[in-house]
Amino acid sequence: MTYRFEYLIPLPMKEVPTEGSQVWEAASASFSQENSYLVEAPSGRGKTSLLSIMYGLRKDYSGKLFINDRDSRGIRSPEWSAMRKTQLSYIFQGLELFDDMSAWDNIMLKNHITRHKTQQQIRNMAAQLNIEPFLQKHCGILSFGQRQRVAIIRALCQPFYFLFADECFSHIDKQNSAVAMDLIREECRAGGAGLVLTSLGNNGHDVDITLSL
Amino acid sequence: MKYLFQILWKDQSRWHLLWAVLGTIAGFVLLLTGIHFYENMNQVLTENEDLLDPEYIIVNKEVGIGQTLGLGNGGFSEEEIAEISQQPFAEQVAPFISNEFPISAYTRSRQFPNFSTELFFEAVPDAFVDVKSDDWGWETGKDHIPVILPQDYLNLYNFGFSQSQGLPQIPKEMIGMLQFSVVLKGATEKATYPGRIIGFSNRINSILVPYDFLTWANEKFGYLEQPRPSRIILVSPDPTDPEIIRFIDEMGYDTIREKLKSSRLNIILKFVLSFLVLIAGIIIGLAFLIFLLSLQLMISRSAEKIRRLSKLGYHHSEISRPYIIVLFILLFIVTAIALAISAVISGKMAAMAAEWNMEVGASLSGTIYLVSIGLVIVLFVLNTFSIYLGTKKLCKE
Repeated sequence: MTYRFEYLIPLPMKEVPTEGSQVWEAASASFSQENSYLVEAPSGRGKTSLLSIMYGLRKDYSGKLFINDRDSRGIRSPEWSAMRKTQLSYIFQGLELFDDMSAWDNIMLKNHITRHKTQQQIRNMAAQLNIEPFLQKHCGILSFGQRQRVAIIRALCQPFYFLFADECFSHIDKQNSAVAMDLIREECRAGGAGLVLTSLGNNGHDVDITLSL
Repeated sequence: MKYLFQILWKDQSRWHLLWAVLGTIAGFVLLLTGIHFYENMNQVLTENEDLLDPEYIIVNKEVGIGQTLGLGNGGFSEEEIAEISQQPFAEQVAPFISNEFPISAYTRSRQFPNFSTELFFEAVPDAFVDVKSDDWGWETGKDHIPVILPQDYLNLYNFGFSQSQGLPQIPKEMIGMLQFSVVLKGATEKATYPGRIIGFSNRINSILVPYDFLTWANEKFGYLEQPRPSRIILVSPDPTDPEIIRFIDEMGYDTIREKLKSSRLNIILKFVLSFLVLIAGIIIGLAFLIFLLSLQLMISRSAEKIRRLSKLGYHHSEISRPYIIVLFILLFIVTAIALAISAVISGKMAAMAAEWNMEVGASLSGTIYLVSIGLVIVLFVLNTFSIYLGTKKLCKE
């Protein structure tokens, strides 16, 4: 799966100067599932917008976006929904968890669509991220960092060609971050999937390509 | 699916859905029993073997200014009589015949004061006469003329004239004792016969003599221009038929409306039932609105959750499914309960009607099942559309 941008810029950012951006209004920018990408930029440069556009959540941009050489404007909502189940996974900056459900049920909500992981595998991942004791608790009572880790596990419970991770380590300490990143990288390698990570700054994450917006 | 239900359905206020269900059931019951009555009342009202006697209706033409001025002959022409005979509500039709020569009558008796007057006679075929008597009828050689007077005349005398004149009242049974003579004045011949009042009619408002007598007398003594019959009598098997009143009004004829009261009752009843069905329709319309709004409310309340599900890859058609399932179950319950209640009510009504010797069907007809299923399908489809539109709108945001 390949993304190709041509002079793409989100409409709200048209006023913002974009010289030197490797993505916005670039004649050509591309993302391939063979690579892992780090998109770093200060706030307001459109990191979340970039991922939202690639995930089909936002359509307010000018320029062209091609997914596998197909204009993304031709993709209708049933197809986007299908892609989000089996081709694209997303760890949201706002997490998008259901606070009145347990961590386990939140994960299952995604997993049961494709039964990508066994229950044991999920428990293992939780153990690796030190949140196994919290699985049965309602997300509403977990700390943001714990919830972030739940969101990470949920995102891995589906097949994907691309994983979009929007500042997903912001509230996790260095050690757990490293473990989480390993987990993610391992999943991507196993599935031959691409990773697009956004971050405020370079946190020493080991990726193939770094882009600045 | 269970996760969708958990997210969307749990913790929702569901009371408004209950109201929607109750309202729809009430509306359905009203509608279905209304239709049931409508169908059965038709049967009851048109069945006249037990309920109503065939009605004898006397029709006359309205007297117009033309008759006062002596222009033209009021009365039914042969074509008009034929047209009336052809009407589906007229089983038998007969014109009144009247005397074509002057008649007078007088009394000479010890009991009553002497009395004399000019007179008229009318006659209709024997089958139409409501007074049964052996004395009715005529053969040549009969020595008296049997006469039937309207009950009203006796009442007028007894309760009006006699009181004001200080005369004695006459009971029905004693009328037969009244002796009077009838003078038939032909152009060349004249004859006098004793007359006898042999009964009183509640049906025909005229001084009646046997048909055979009057035809014989007209032939023997008649010399005046034969008038067109001013009245006709007809037999209708179904006097409740509103066609009768419509026809009479349309042709400018007249009749005693009181006799056709039951036709009016029929019309009124049908009107009331139609009104009932209309009200039921309104109630169902309102209940449908409540359903619609309840579902929209639930969807609005879950806006954030629905958007979240969409971000996770659920399509709005999948998100709609729990709502549609709930809708289906509720509508199923509504139909089942409404039909059950309607059946019970119909059964009770049939039992009550049976006590009054009326035949009313107890079981619900196929039409009712069709109507209820049809309505429920409409409700389901409309609400499903609304759900789809609601979730789709949220998912696009």
